[in-house]
Amino acid sequence: MNFKHKYLFLLPGLLVLIGILIFPVGFTVRLSMSSWDSFFPGLDYVGLENYFRIFQEDSRFWEAFGRLSFLSVTTVTLQYVLGFALALMVWKDIAFKRFFRVLFLIPMMTTPVIMTVIWKTFFHESLGPVNDFLNIFGWNPLWLSSEILSKITVIIVEVWQWTPFMFLLLLAGLLSLPKEPYLAASIDGAGPYRTFIYVTFPLMAPISIGAIIIRLIEASKIMDTVYVLTSGGPGTATETSSFYIFIKGLREFQFGYSAALSFTYLIIMIISLTIIAKVLVRLMIRDN
Amino acid sequence: MAKIELNNVAHSYSPAVEEPEYALKKCNLIWKDGGRYAVLGPSGCGKTTMLNIMSGLVKPSEGFINFDGFDVTNISTSERNIAQVFQFPVIYNTMTVAQNLGFPLLCRNYSKDEITKKVDQVAQTLGLEDLLDLRATKLTADQKQLISLGRGLVREDVAAILMDEPLTVIDPDLKFRLRRRLKEINELYKSTLIYVTHDQNEAMTFAENILVMDHGKIVQVGTPLELFERPKTTFVGYFIGSPAMNMLQAEIKGKNVVSIGETVISTETDLSKVKSKNIKLGIRSEFVELHDKGKKNCISVEIDRVDDFGNFQLVSARHGKSPIKAKVHRDIAVPAGKAWMKFPETRCCVYSDEVLL
Repeated sequence: MNFKHKYLFLLPGLLVLIGILIFPVGFTVRLSMSSWDSFFPGLDYVGLENYFRIFQEDSRFWEAFGRLSFLSVTTVTLQYVLGFALALMVWKDIAFKRFFRVLFLIPMMTTPVIMTVIWKTFFHESLGPVNDFLNIFGWNPLWLSSEILSKITVIIVEVWQWTPFMFLLLLAGLLSLPKEPYLAASIDGAGPYRTFIYVTFPLMAPISIGAIIIRLIEASKIMDTVYVLTSGGPGTATETSSFYIFIKGLREFQFGYSAALSFTYLIIMIISLTIIAKVLVRLMIRDN
Repeated sequence: MAKIELNNVAHSYSPAVEEPEYALKKCNLIWKDGGRYAVLGPSGCGKTTMLNIMSGLVKPSEGFINFDGFDVTNISTSERNIAQVFQFPVIYNTMTVAQNLGFPLLCRNYSKDEITKKVDQVAQTLGLEDLLDLRATKLTADQKQLISLGRGLVREDVAAILMDEPLTVIDPDLKFRLRRRLKEINELYKSTLIYVTHDQNEAMTFAENILVMDHGKIVQVGTPLELFERPKTTFVGYFIGSPAMNMLQAEIKGKNVVSIGETVISTETDLSKVKSKNIKLGIRSEFVELHDKGKKNCISVEIDRVDDFGNFQLVSARHGKSPIKAKVHRDIAVPAGKAWMKFPETRCCVYSDEVLL
């Protein structure tokens, strides 16, 4: 065999890889060491100055990161619990099984931004139907402009939008489980509670971990919901990392600094998700 | 411990169809309390269906099941108090061996002391006492299968222990020891053991009574000896024994006499009332004698091949076109080419329309 032209054949793939992955990452790293902004555009070199700024001065970024952690962990936990419950509901033979299976998937099929606009209308404090209804009891909660409630609103919308994804993965997992453990459990006299704890849950552990990790990665990118629903407000009550980076980069045009923020964020996410995955595996599949 | 009765039980997996196909055809059967049974048959003959009907995992589309005269047809599996071991070991991954063994007791609200006591007992019988604190996932396949079995044994009052090809995953040497242990357990606990298998050796060495099934029908129930010496149908003759029973097309020539081609063979069966033309003479290869001269009940054969199995020789021969096999002692010199084979009268089984007369 003549390997003279092997690089020629590898070239298209390599070019794509370099063009869409390696160059952007490399450029971001270089950009993060410049002070490029709207007043002084250009790739100058300021060393690690931007990074010192993040770790020494920028408490807003770390607060946003803390908020992001809280929001993603809460929403993914709720999605997992609800998704599992729904999947268990339509797993066994019930009436209208097919109908429910499709029904539970509808939120995932809608366009997130548009659904968020609709949710925003729902929760509108003076014009929305939710408060219209609650007014009957004399309540008028500030869904979008209270510091705590606005977080809950974001959580509600996120959970509604993405629980179907969990539901889908977990149902697929449930449907692929072997029969024998259930027969054995019923022969051993285990009731539904024990069967779930000792049979279903352990058998579902691997797929659960996969589903949770996928959703955590997705949830940590949360941006559109916040942007449309509250724009990070009131104040910075619902501002998340990606939204903050968006503000720094594409509203204030501090390209150099936002590149440093992005890169820091990327490193933190890679480390923390690796740790989370390890911990989940340790917790759920205890012996491997 | 219970006597299990099947009354007119039949099962079809799609009973709503106009002419349902039965996985298990109508049968009446009594399993004696404390008996050791094997259900034997080729794959897909309804063995597992029968077992699942008894354990309650499948509700029969027709008929009733009685435990000690008590109708349990509509009672759930856990209330029937039955133990079942499946082909592949089922263990609870998150538990230790001891917790696995004690699980059926835990589900039935036994006290902690009682559970520990019984688990220790069963672990000793099964030789698992050193593994009790280990996580169950760390065990080998055969140890896992022992745990599955142990979960059935911790409840001493089980009506029956049903086993669905439980030793498939276990290597031959251990298989032998486990079968012996199962026998001991049966004698110790006096529990009814029902053992499904498609391996005749397993069935023969394990059971007091063997039930042979074919196409959803129970063909014969009997001791290993009965199945071997007097198979009720040609199917049982073929299925049991290695090599299969010799079957030769025959014609009735008199009260006790049949002919195979020109050769006349006398038997002990009364053939005077048989009308069918489909007659077969069956004889086990173990009972066929090899001779060098034609005598009474002898048939001329052409010897094709002799296989030496060490402890015996298997002679493959032909009479016309029908093959005959004979197991002979290893010291006997087998002639090449033509020879005579004797069918002893007492060993001949005559089948009319595939059924023993």
